[in-house]
Amino acid sequence: MRHFLIMTAFAALASIVFGTVAKDSNRDRLMYGLKVFAEFMVIGLVLAWILYFIPF
Amino acid sequence: MTTADAKHIDLESAPPRAWLMGVVAWLVPGLGHLLQRRWWRALLLGGAVWICFIAGFQMGGHLFKYSGTEPGFSALLQIPPMIGDLGSGLLYIACWLWDYGFAHGEQQAALPTFEYGWTFLLVAGLINYLAMLDAFDIAAGRKS
Repeated sequence: MRHFLIMTAFAALASIVFGTVAKDSNRDRLMYGLKVFAEFMVIGLVLAWILYFIPF
Repeated sequence: MTTADAKHIDLESAPPRAWLMGVVAWLVPGLGHLLQRRWWRALLLGGAVWICFIAGFQMGGHLFKYSGTEPGFSALLQIPPMIGDLGSGLLYIACWLWDYGFAHGEQQAALPTFEYGWTFLLVAGLINYLAMLDAFDIAAGRKS
């Protein structure tokens, strides 16, 4: 659970920064930030499951 | 005029204030935007860097520096993460002056969050580089 929370915190902080410095309007920034957050989370979980099945 | 020429002229036309804002934003995370009255950007960008940096130490992380004492190429491997950590500006410089946060003993390395810790510290520096460029662009009038 701790690992998941840390990953969520990391994704939130990174997506806040990416969302703030990118795009031109507030709505675009919000949507881009949410998209980056979702990508961090989904890719992190997929990688975690792939690595879980690798025995070395 | 080529694109490279246009970029060169554009770079030279950046006012000194933009360079100053860039340096200030690098030295103190969030201050570059605060001085330009970009309150929300200062809060979000500066806050993210400070939280990342403090959380990194709370998780048992350590900073990197080039000491030159490691054998062979190992010493050179310290340089890329050191450049990342250096992005935190005065936070890194203060730690370097007081020699705080660079050592990592066995007990610290055994923490389950040790790897997360130095990653957060590294990312704090990297996202502050982004914030620095953002403050520079705003001061140069390239961004609203």
